Amino acid sequence: MLIKRTHQHSLRRGSVADTLAGQASGLDRRSFLRKSGLAGGALAALGTISVGGVRKAEAAAAGPLTAGATVRKSICTHCSVGCTVTAEVLNGVWIGQEPSWDSPINRGSHCAKGASVRELVHSERRLRYPMKLVGGQWTRVSWDTAINEIGDKLQVVREKSGPDSVYWLGSAKMTNEGAYLFRKLGAFWGTNNTDHQARICHSTTVTGVANTWGYGAMTNSYNDIRNAKTQVVLGGNPAEAHPVSLQHLLEGKELQKANFVVIDPRLTRTAAHATEYVRMRPGTDIPVLYGMMWHILQNGWEDKEFIRQRVYGFDDLRKEVEKWNPEEVERVTGIPGEQLKRVAKMFATEKPATLIWAMGQTQKTVGTANVRASCILLLMTGNVGGAGMGANIFRGHDNVQGATDVGLDIVTLPFYYGLAEGAWKHWSRVWEVDYDFLKSRFDSKQIMETPGIPLTRWFEAVTLPKDQVAQKDNVRAVFVQGHASNSITRIPESLNGLKALELLVIADPHPTTWASLAVEAGRKDGVYILPVATQFECKGSRVASNRSLQWGEQIVKPIFESKDDLEIIYLFAKKFGFADKMFKNIKIENNLPEAEDLLREMNRGSWSTGYCGQSPERLKAHMKNQAKFDMLTMRAPKDDPEVGGDYYGLPWPCWGSPEVKHPGTPLLYNTNLHVMDGGGTFRPRFGVEREEKLPDGTTRKVSLLADGSYSKGSGIEDGYPEFTLAVLKKLGWDTELTEAEMATINKINPATPDAVSWSLDLSGGIQRVALAHGCVPYGNGKARMNAFGLPDPIPVHREPIYTPRVDLVAKYPTLPDAKQFRVPNIGFSVQKAAMEKGIAKQFPLILSSGRLVEYEGGGEETRTNPWLAELQQDMFIEINPADAAERGVKDGGWVWVTGAENNSKARMKALVTERVGKGVAWMPFHFGGWLAGKDLRSNYPKGTDPIVLGESANTITTYGYDPATNMQETKVTLCQIAAA
Amino acid sequence: MPSFGRFIRLAIGAWALLLLIAATPTPSMGQQINPTADAVNERQLLQELDRIQGRVSIPDQRSSVLVQPQGREWREFRNVLLRWIGGVAIVGMLAVLVVFYLAVGMVRLESGRSGRTIVRFNTFERFVHWMTATCFIILAVSGLNITFGRPLLLPLIGFEAFSEWSQWAKYAHNYLSFPFTIGVVLIFLMWIGGNIPNKVDVEWTKRGGGLIGHDHPPAYRFNAGQKAIYWIVVIGGGLVAGTGYVLMFPFYGTGIEGMQMAQIVHSIVGVLFIAAMLAHIYIGTIGMEGAFEAMGSGEVDVNWAREHHSLWMDEQTARTGPGDSQPQRRRAASPAE
Amino acid sequence: MARMKFLCDADRCIECNACVTACKNEHEVPWGINRRRVVTINDGKPGERSVSMACMHCTDAPCAAVCPVNCFYTTADGVVLHSKDLCIGCGYCFYACPFGAPQYPKVGNFGSRGKMDKCTYCAGGPEADGSKEEYEKYGANRLAEGKLPLCAEMCSTKSLLAGDGEIIASIYKERVLKRGYGSGAWGWKTAYRETIES
Repeated sequence: MLIKRTHQHSLRRGSVADTLAGQASGLDRRSFLRKSGLAGGALAALGTISVGGVRKAEAAAAGPLTAGATVRKSICTHCSVGCTVTAEVLNGVWIGQEPSWDSPINRGSHCAKGASVRELVHSERRLRYPMKLVGGQWTRVSWDTAINEIGDKLQVVREKSGPDSVYWLGSAKMTNEGAYLFRKLGAFWGTNNTDHQARICHSTTVTGVANTWGYGAMTNSYNDIRNAKTQVVLGGNPAEAHPVSLQHLLEGKELQKANFVVIDPRLTRTAAHATEYVRMRPGTDIPVLYGMMWHILQNGWEDKEFIRQRVYGFDDLRKEVEKWNPEEVERVTGIPGEQLKRVAKMFATEKPATLIWAMGQTQKTVGTANVRASCILLLMTGNVGGAGMGANIFRGHDNVQGATDVGLDIVTLPFYYGLAEGAWKHWSRVWEVDYDFLKSRFDSKQIMETPGIPLTRWFEAVTLPKDQVAQKDNVRAVFVQGHASNSITRIPESLNGLKALELLVIADPHPTTWASLAVEAGRKDGVYILPVATQFECKGSRVASNRSLQWGEQIVKPIFESKDDLEIIYLFAKKFGFADKMFKNIKIENNLPEAEDLLREMNRGSWSTGYCGQSPERLKAHMKNQAKFDMLTMRAPKDDPEVGGDYYGLPWPCWGSPEVKHPGTPLLYNTNLHVMDGGGTFRPRFGVEREEKLPDGTTRKVSLLADGSYSKGSGIEDGYPEFTLAVLKKLGWDTELTEAEMATINKINPATPDAVSWSLDLSGGIQRVALAHGCVPYGNGKARMNAFGLPDPIPVHREPIYTPRVDLVAKYPTLPDAKQFRVPNIGFSVQKAAMEKGIAKQFPLILSSGRLVEYEGGGEETRTNPWLAELQQDMFIEINPADAAERGVKDGGWVWVTGAENNSKARMKALVTERVGKGVAWMPFHFGGWLAGKDLRSNYPKGTDPIVLGESANTITTYGYDPATNMQETKVTLCQIAAA
Repeated sequence: MPSFGRFIRLAIGAWALLLLIAATPTPSMGQQINPTADAVNERQLLQELDRIQGRVSIPDQRSSVLVQPQGREWREFRNVLLRWIGGVAIVGMLAVLVVFYLAVGMVRLESGRSGRTIVRFNTFERFVHWMTATCFIILAVSGLNITFGRPLLLPLIGFEAFSEWSQWAKYAHNYLSFPFTIGVVLIFLMWIGGNIPNKVDVEWTKRGGGLIGHDHPPAYRFNAGQKAIYWIVVIGGGLVAGTGYVLMFPFYGTGIEGMQMAQIVHSIVGVLFIAAMLAHIYIGTIGMEGAFEAMGSGEVDVNWAREHHSLWMDEQTARTGPGDSQPQRRRAASPAE
Repeated sequence: MARMKFLCDADRCIECNACVTACKNEHEVPWGINRRRVVTINDGKPGERSVSMACMHCTDAPCAAVCPVNCFYTTADGVVLHSKDLCIGCGYCFYACPFGAPQYPKVGNFGSRGKMDKCTYCAGGPEADGSKEEYEKYGANRLAEGKLPLCAEMCSTKSLLAGDGEIIASIYKERVLKRGYGSGAWGWKTAYRETIES
């Protein structure tokens, strides 16, 4: 038997080894492998057999190849769990990944994507230099040329059609600093047409949840789910979408012997680990939730005291719930009453219980109402504001929470200040720029305060008749920095938009389907591609789903000619001539704005959301001291000199200035803790009282403030409104403000300083004083079961636009047509027309879509990574064996999928499986690069095409937009499948 | 008949469906589906089937087999049984031949050489024979190396030399399989006519081919012994070639069990084939005077032909007339007749 | 000395394929070679379980037993390795392996096999620990650096365990005891002729 380093081997080490010994560490691994690869040990050809001899004589001195490497930490860019990526860098080359044991979030773990991120940086298929489409050919241009030509063209569009004719589509892939700057660029450009992926991922969550209790974010954390006795997943498949979160879910399930319920149309990989799986018809989340509530109310399982103290609108809700008796629920959802009763009982009585959701609830025409109903279930059972409870909303991208928070959005300025004059004035103070200057950049004050066009509707904003788009002119140019086009529904119609645009700019590490589809649409010019660095080549903060901020270091410098997001934004600001104003307080080095300064600027303006305490220094200290944070509580020991008492990543709200040393808020609305320990209350965001109409025609005023509930150690032991100078005065606490703080307050509103609130006070004094008294700066209110102001204040079930259950449409129609966000939403007409045309007969299968663990989003980046692409090489559609048998479809065989609109069709492989129920088909949404059976590989710039291409699910998806956010409908439409 | 086939298929289909339904109980109203409690269990799966197979997303579908412990039986076969079979067959045959040679010696031409020759195998036949034979020898040696090299040769020459030799041997084995296969096919076609067993063979066999004593049972062009060799070559060669290609082109139309079976057949047939060929070589060389000439020059002495292939000789004589010293010129003597 | 083993707790495995790409990343394994893979049994049905599988580094390894050129060896840690210099790519180890671990790059004609490649338990090969040659042929040698295989270290749910057999068996036993279920230590009976009673 051989054993390692028997002398026959060691004897052969000769002088060649000595000469090579010094070089071993100087070469990066990749260059070793280029020379021989693993095939170096294999036989490349018959003639190269070498046994013994030369190869062994070269054996270098022992010692790890990684010796001398620097370790740098960043955050995985593939989902919102926030896994730390630990990189080994040698001579500027990223040579290896190591487990990030110290991170309390991932504890060394990764999923397929996280374990392969190194390849994204080194990818040979990345964009290397700027390109432009000239006569249908991709042609290399210099950065200078690109910036100048694009800048000039944008100015032309602006002069001709107004600033709103340029659509700025940003990204959840950017750091907070990048996303913030992109929004700021939009503001300086003079438009609110600045959006990003949150629109198509959790915009409905943000709106629905914020309208319920104050902030539209995950209330607890992935780690905290370990505390739950009952976990219910409704509308999510975290095993594939957030794999590392399953570490917490499954360990929690095991250690707590918890109920783990998955309610889903598919028996997902998550459901495979459930203790109870409930199969539902897609698009019936509200009936499912009401069905549970019906049993809860019927049996008195609701948390009466919680409802009394902390909930508004319970009686209005009860009326709606009563309609959903078990028979009706089963008729609509297909779930037997007994099963739902069992789940309802668990949820209400085996507490703490948490509800987990992702895009299964949000990407619907009733998305906002869905998440509202989910919150209502939590409120009814008293499952909010404590460990193991809450709405655990799993966001999608690594920084989609952050990009949302920093206002890369059409409805608000950074940190949810909105678009009203007061908000603009607040930010002009923070930016130290004249409000009138900002106003002058817009077409009008009115449009400055009007929400922009949602990205889901960008192509309609291009192609609709001018009078149907409520701004000066149609959209004429799209500048997209880090967003996939195949993530947006109705691809066949988007081609018209692509063709009609005057200018399309794609700034991304990869050309994306924007490029391949633009060529397919017939464009010969007017398209630019700018190579952007991956996030591993940029530093900055990212916000995980649990609201923790993590600072990522730059692992390697931008590869090839690619540039940091910040630099590109700066270069355009410079081109437009407002860089000096826009970067007034930001240090610029070699055209690169300093991320730390940007975060400090955010700190100075983000009082409303509690991003004010997370200074770059504190965040860096957290990354350095990761190991000190407890895995379950996520808190560091109080006596630690650097991060003592902090919660990991200072989950927002982290009140006051950094000097206040607020530890962050790991669980929102937790009254069991002092606010300085992360405690909180529901945010009274919608007034302090409301006038209700009574049946007899009279009215009464009902308080919206909490009733006898308050956070631990609160100076006010009851509900209270948000803090303003006036409130402080009333309480007699205004005397605690320092002179400097008073001076700042007076400067903010010289006319009526009393009106200056906790969120506008740039001195932080009002927050500081409130915190000193154990009070939450935003007040202490009730959560709203009745969210007056929303299209459906009490959630109402509405059948999907395209539903197979035509019998239910009359009773549960979608909302009437309306104009929303500058464009019409004609969902009702579409639903009506579908009924009249008998679409459900022609397209009898429900089509849903979702994630695969190997890919992310539009998938161009991950499909370019060979380590991932090898694992999923074909676009496919899941179909039930019974449906497959009826159609003669074979497992693994090719099929044509046809859609209900645009005569859409797509060719893909069939995966015949019982995972989907009869009548339901499911597709992953990450594929692109094929269209209607045609391979578009040649449309990509040479050498940049992803390894795996396939039909996009959104070729088949159809009309349907949530009225509150214009979220697209990707989860329920109709299709037909035929063997190809 | 077609309807019967359809019936069978339907019955199988129905049975499979029944099994499927039985295997996955459809829960009745409100019944709990607990995927955790229903989890498959390795022990149970291995009891039900001899392997565990699932689904993988990569195209390499063979990797969907998770556990297939029957590799263990194959290992037993390869390391123990095959070595016994091969050892007994080959060493046994060698021993028999040695003993036989010592006991009997070379079978001499009883009537001596006549000086007249007759063409027994033409140039093409001899070319095919020797091409096949050369390939066979290399294939045999390289094949035996795979089974016996590790215990016998490796300790003598060391790891590296043995691997180098084995590497070349593997290539030789793979590449020479093609001419060998062609040779087997040609042999089959060329000599099928003379190798159909008949009554004469019964008599020949009864008399033990005349190996013992000075008996000369009559035979046509090929006696029963040669026919046996012919069929061993055709059937054995066909089998080793067929199974060899299965092994050389992994997973084309077979799974892992198929390849294990193929290897078992290949190796057993191979060693038996080798044993048989040892006997063939013996008879064709030192075992019998005048026999080698048949494949050497292609011409045999008339007396040799008379002694060992009397009926063939009679045929040849009848066709060309007695006294014709050059029957080989008459191409009519095709063995295919 | 430790006896290194793998154990996949299928009740934790979610088929996230982190083990697969971690392996690819650590060793730069080329396309088409799958040192580790995840197989899902009963796909899409209640009872579905996924199992991550690679070379199990068997006790009395069948591959080593049937190798015509005796290119396998077992390290002091119980890791089954082989020498690519000695391997002739005959495929016999694949016939004998119960786990489908050996992989062959396709080289030359007739789809013939190149030198066998398989999971090394991140322990390299016969060359000097951490040497360039070792990396080229077998990939990284983490074990020599005191690290365990990256697949297990990066497993998303701590399903795949690597380390001394007794330790990982006790971790698994404790888990089963605590949660009350376990679908078995997949492959242990076949690889190590031992089962973990659940």
